[in-house]
Amino acid sequence: MGFSINAGLLDAMVLSIVQNNDTYGYEITQYLRKAVDISESTLYPVLRRLQKGEMLETYDKEFMGRNRRYYRITPKGNDSLEEYREEWRSHKKKIDSILLNEGAEYNEQT
Amino acid sequence: MNKLEFLTRLRNNLERGGLPSDDINDALSYYEEVFLDAGFGKEEETAAAMGSPEDVAVNILRESGIHVGGAPVMPPQRMDGPQGQQQQGPMMGGYVPPKKKASGGSIALGIVLGILTFPIWFPIVCVVVSLLFALIVVLISLVIAFFAAAIGLLIGGIVALTEFPAVGIMFLGAGLILTGLVILICKPAFSAVIPAIGRGIKRFCGWVVGLFKKGGKENA
Repeated sequence: MGFSINAGLLDAMVLSIVQNNDTYGYEITQYLRKAVDISESTLYPVLRRLQKGEMLETYDKEFMGRNRRYYRITPKGNDSLEEYREEWRSHKKKIDSILLNEGAEYNEQT
Repeated sequence: MNKLEFLTRLRNNLERGGLPSDDINDALSYYEEVFLDAGFGKEEETAAAMGSPEDVAVNILRESGIHVGGAPVMPPQRMDGPQGQQQQGPMMGGYVPPKKKASGGSIALGIVLGILTFPIWFPIVCVVVSLLFALIVVLISLVIAFFAAAIGLLIGGIVALTEFPAVGIMFLGAGLILTGLVILICKPAFSAVIPAIGRGIKRFCGWVVGLFKKGGKENA
């Protein structure tokens, strides 16, 4: 991927992953890797930021004799994710209008 | 670099940066989990993929609003050997030693406390358990006593019936009354009271064990 990804976009993607399913750090990274080149150490500050912003909350679940930290989206996180999605749609449209030649509405399947 | 080295260097750098110890522990448990989730055989690979612990620490510190100027701290010598303890005082301002040591110490402390207070709690536990057990035994014996009396009266009644019909009928009647009582008492006793007491003993034991676990943690 030649395009850099900014912090807001990363926040939004993490929120979206957690909204689908409560999950844990390692798995979130694996999901993100499908789209962007990211390591576990990039993810940690993101998770921490979302947690401090009360968009994600955590709970521990036993897994093979140890505790695994699961993340769960909060109502505030859901609201924020909706905003991000709205923003992304308009952003994408504007970029597409230039990059893919004006007004061309591509329906990308992701 | 293996997991232990990565985590140690990360902790050192976060401590140097002055991150609160809660945040340090949170970060370390996250990175420890990453290593565990990646699999035991992949420590080197995982560490390599995450970059140097110094860079990781700088990112975490920056996210917490701490800006680190200059080069990140390289692994210091203070970690091993007894002289590490002396160095730690002035350098870290009496900062908490690595988490593993602290929790290990608190568990040991809990065990020592448990052993030292053994003469106090052991008799108490014994007494409570024996009392509950005695209650079960009393209930069962009562039922057996009533049952035996009922059978005795019924047999006596039948025997007496031939010689003194009136007495025999009276015995039989009393025997039947007792049999009824036994059945009435038995049912609730066996179906509810005894299992309840058993649960009580179990819960009490669990509570005692929990008390020690909690006690150990609070001392950390």
